[in-house]
Amino acid sequence: MPSPLLTVEALHVSYGRVDAVRDVSFEVPEGGLVALIGANGAGKSSVLGAVSGLVRPRSGAVRLDGEDITRRPVHRRVADGLVLVPEGRQILGSLTVAENLRLGAHRRRRQAAPEADMYRLFPVLDERRALPASALSGGEQQMLAIARAMIARPRVVLLDEPSMGLSPKMVDEVFTVIEKIRAQGVTVVLVEQNARRALRVADTGHVLETGALAHSGPASELLQHPKVVEAYLGIE
Amino acid sequence: MLQQLANGVFAGSIYALFAIGFTLVFGILRQLNLAHPAIFTAGAFVGIELATRLGLPMWALIPAVAAAGGLAGVLLERVAFRPLAGRDDEHFAGLISSVAFGGILIAALQARYGTEPQSFPTEYFPNRLFEFGGIGVTLMQLVTLGLALVLMLGLAWLVSSTPMGRAMRAVAENPRAAKVLGVNTGLVTSGTYALSSALGTVAGALLALNIGQADRDLGASIELIGFAVIIVGGLGSLWGAMAAGLILGVAEALTVTYFDSTWKGLVAFALLFAILVLRPRGLFGAVKVREV
Ligand SMILES: Nc1ncnc2c1ncn2[C@@H]1O[C@H](COP(=O)(O)OP(=O)(O)O)[C@@H](O)[C@H]1O
Ligand SMILES: [Mg+2]
Repeated sequence: MPSPLLTVEALHVSYGRVDAVRDVSFEVPEGGLVALIGANGAGKSSVLGAVSGLVRPRSGAVRLDGEDITRRPVHRRVADGLVLVPEGRQILGSLTVAENLRLGAHRRRRQAAPEADMYRLFPVLDERRALPASALSGGEQQMLAIARAMIARPRVVLLDEPSMGLSPKMVDEVFTVIEKIRAQGVTVVLVEQNARRALRVADTGHVLETGALAHSGPASELLQHPKVVEAYLGIE
Repeated sequence: MLQQLANGVFAGSIYALFAIGFTLVFGILRQLNLAHPAIFTAGAFVGIELATRLGLPMWALIPAVAAAGGLAGVLLERVAFRPLAGRDDEHFAGLISSVAFGGILIAALQARYGTEPQSFPTEYFPNRLFEFGGIGVTLMQLVTLGLALVLMLGLAWLVSSTPMGRAMRAVAENPRAAKVLGVNTGLVTSGTYALSSALGTVAGALLALNIGQADRDLGASIELIGFAVIIVGGLGSLWGAMAAGLILGVAEALTVTYFDSTWKGLVAFALLFAILVLRPRGLFGAVKVREV
């Protein structure tokens, strides 16, 4: 069996005396799509924080391609191809759409117009490229946040609640984009409140409950798992 | 009258140069660096040292002073600000530790040079006088104004149109988002301090070149008017600092002409209060570095 691209080992994250993540381990194979679901406050963003380097874990390890990157600064992880699309999008509203994209393109500075690919993938951004990013709608901002991550040509993308606060139509678009990303061979870790949608696109799912993994398994099995259905999926 | 106006513009260009360095750090990093006047003073002494000891000519002196200032800025950030990052009181603590850093710098200058003023070598710079329609202007004044303009416009260009400037504006708006995009925020922080302090030391060296000498109170003499310039221009606004520097320089020069020099400070501060009452966010509105 090939070694996984991303490994999280016995991860423990605390904020002061609050334990947000307790002993969480999972693996993400190259090209895989892993969904991380759980209630609000379960620790999903904290896991992504530790993987991306924004949060320093109390203990445990994060490995990329077998290499221990637990203490590597965020900008170096980005350069190594591990990119986070943060919760709430974190768009730089005073910069233009094009500037937001170019910031994401640090690694491709030598290339003439690295934005071109992204404009092809997200035509709506092309029309708005000279506008301040604050002028975009919520859905467009989410597209920009994803484009800004994809422009770095990452190996792994961590998506933190990309469908949050969007209209049903925009949610559909976001999931279409996620499928496109994975079709390009990019590895994805998807955190979602919309558990059913997330498990439908994922290969593997993990359920976090108050900081610890409660259930893990193939996404298709979790979709049938009585406890998971009861707590997170409800009746359709 | 026109002569005073011209003198005001030359003084004002130094105030503006002092002020943009300070306001840059605030605009990008939200930190108030109270060591800036000491850095300014150190720039003057470094200039005199390099001119007398190494005999550096003017064209090499300014870049050398700027380089020394850049290094001092990196050091300042490392010892006075970075260790405090993440504390609840980091802004207040940084204010205090930068005062301490400034105090140490001034004490070190005093240990090396004593309290006597230090001078540039006589005839260091050609003492040429030009006349334009009755206004006498020295070559040094022209060089000062030209250099100040080039540096200020250069900074505005750097912030608005280069990858480094884009990263700086990203950090100014949202350091966390900038980080996630792969911006090396530590490097941007060091770079901002290096630029700020380089501008501050060059301003100090230029003032000393204009008056021919420097003592350890050089920074104290510009501190109040410099901070008034920053507030009048709008804290964090580069264009504001440039305009306000010139306005206050001229206001000060005119006061000296029409009243006498004891009123000099008063007019600058009357202007400061007027601005604070009428336009509390400064002439150009505060915190505009991102929108240069
Ligand atoms: N910066 C922080 N400081 C203190 N507590 C935090 C911080 N971030 C998250 N927490 C706490 O950690 C727990 C997990 O939060 P989070 O990882 O954001 O969960 P989720 O993304 O699943 O909603 C929650 O109890 C939350 O209140
Ligand atoms: Mg979250």
